[in-house]
Amino acid sequence: MGEVIVVTSGKGGVGKTTTTANIGTALALEGKSVVLVDADIGLRNLDVVMGLENRIVYDLVDVVEGVCRLKQALIKDKRFEGLYLLPAAQTKDKNAVSPDQMQKLCETLKEQFDYVIIDCPAGIEQGFKNAIAGAEKAIVVTTPEVSAVRDADRIIGLLSANELFDVRLIINRLRIDMVKRGDMMNVDDTIDILGIDLLGVVPDDENIVISTNRGEPVVMEQGSMAGKAYKNIAKRILGENVPLMNLETEETFMEKLLKLFGKNKKRTY
Amino acid sequence: MAERTVLFKGIRGGLKIYIDPDAPFNQIRTELIEKIRNSKQFFEGSTVNLHFSGKKLDSEEQKEILECAVREIDIGTVEFNEEAGNSPSVDLDGSFDGIEEGMTKFIRGTVRNGQRVFYEGNVVVLGDVNPGGEVIAGGNILVLGILRGLAHAGATGNRQAIVAALSLQPTQLRIADIITRSPEGENSKPAYPEIAYIKGSDLVIEPYLPGKGK
Repeated sequence: MGEVIVVTSGKGGVGKTTTTANIGTALALEGKSVVLVDADIGLRNLDVVMGLENRIVYDLVDVVEGVCRLKQALIKDKRFEGLYLLPAAQTKDKNAVSPDQMQKLCETLKEQFDYVIIDCPAGIEQGFKNAIAGAEKAIVVTTPEVSAVRDADRIIGLLSANELFDVRLIINRLRIDMVKRGDMMNVDDTIDILGIDLLGVVPDDENIVISTNRGEPVVMEQGSMAGKAYKNIAKRILGENVPLMNLETEETFMEKLLKLFGKNKKRTY
Repeated sequence: MAERTVLFKGIRGGLKIYIDPDAPFNQIRTELIEKIRNSKQFFEGSTVNLHFSGKKLDSEEQKEILECAVREIDIGTVEFNEEAGNSPSVDLDGSFDGIEEGMTKFIRGTVRNGQRVFYEGNVVVLGDVNPGGEVIAGGNILVLGILRGLAHAGATGNRQAIVAALSLQPTQLRIADIITRSPEGENSKPAYPEIAYIKGSDLVIEPYLPGKGK
């Protein structure tokens, strides 16, 4: 029996789809069977990010309406053993599916896969309600910015109101240089407000833009810090205790000098 | 100031309205509508059951009151109860005056963005109030944590109510009818607990020093 995890945020553009794609791929690389479900009906993106858009024949709405069998809609990713995608419909909208239908679908998927990861749309309306309906765990993604954190807080409140209490946090697009200058919220500030367990921190990484454009999850890119962070997150989901990565890259000359004098305390994440 | 003729008492899912048997109908109607309007925010999104007691109203009067009320709130069930049995003997001032000794609601955990606590008495939050979160109380509000959201104490009209927090950083602070926000450009977070109350016609904030006694 698998686990159903919803990846949500409230705020748009903080990295839910990227997170879903990469956690899913990383879990598959660890040998698990994973299905990624795109719940963003009408504005689907997961297929694009995974590079599978031209293999879509049937979608989630077709399955729920009984137009096709589940197996016909599932797209097997040929690059990663055990990884499947259930795409969203693009020519419909979020009212095409009900929470009950989503719940039944998730129950069916649970029986076939180790992990069912649902990419939740932005917002708190029907799309959100559908996406969380079948989930037993949630990952809240936020960036270290005041508006994203506000929305994440709202979402966490709504998740509790819907009896979803196993909620963990991913802080995405952290820029360590800005944090050091005091221009960006640090990890502790964010956890202080949101008050949930931290699952991982993903640094801002140009490789994400590049890989997304190529339709390749960034975990495939060996030199990417973000890719490494996602792989660590997947390990943590599997129960391994992986320490947070040291996100600092090169020391500046000044820092080296200060370190010589024992004055520079290196902050590890 | 005209004597109050209508007493509101919030109960689960509705309002108990006691009408002074000696008051003239016109005054009653005006006051009733005003009070309903002021309480509107508490009933957003839900139906309100009304229980009238006190003065006996004839059917014309009842109809008139209901017509006015229905414009302001969503009415559920209505009861016109003639017995004076449950009439409170003390003053008819509608505000909550149990700020020295009165019913208190305890909230365990943080009040998050988008969540709203409304209670006619005092409220104690054992946690934080995050920005976007709201605590609205007829009495005092104590936050044993960081108050970053909105707090409205004495919401039904009691200017003696206070707001206190381990760290007072609210987006907006209200006591009774006074609304304030922190002075522009003040970004420093207080390192000690503070208490806010009305002094004269201003809302003042002081460090909370135990044993000071007001």
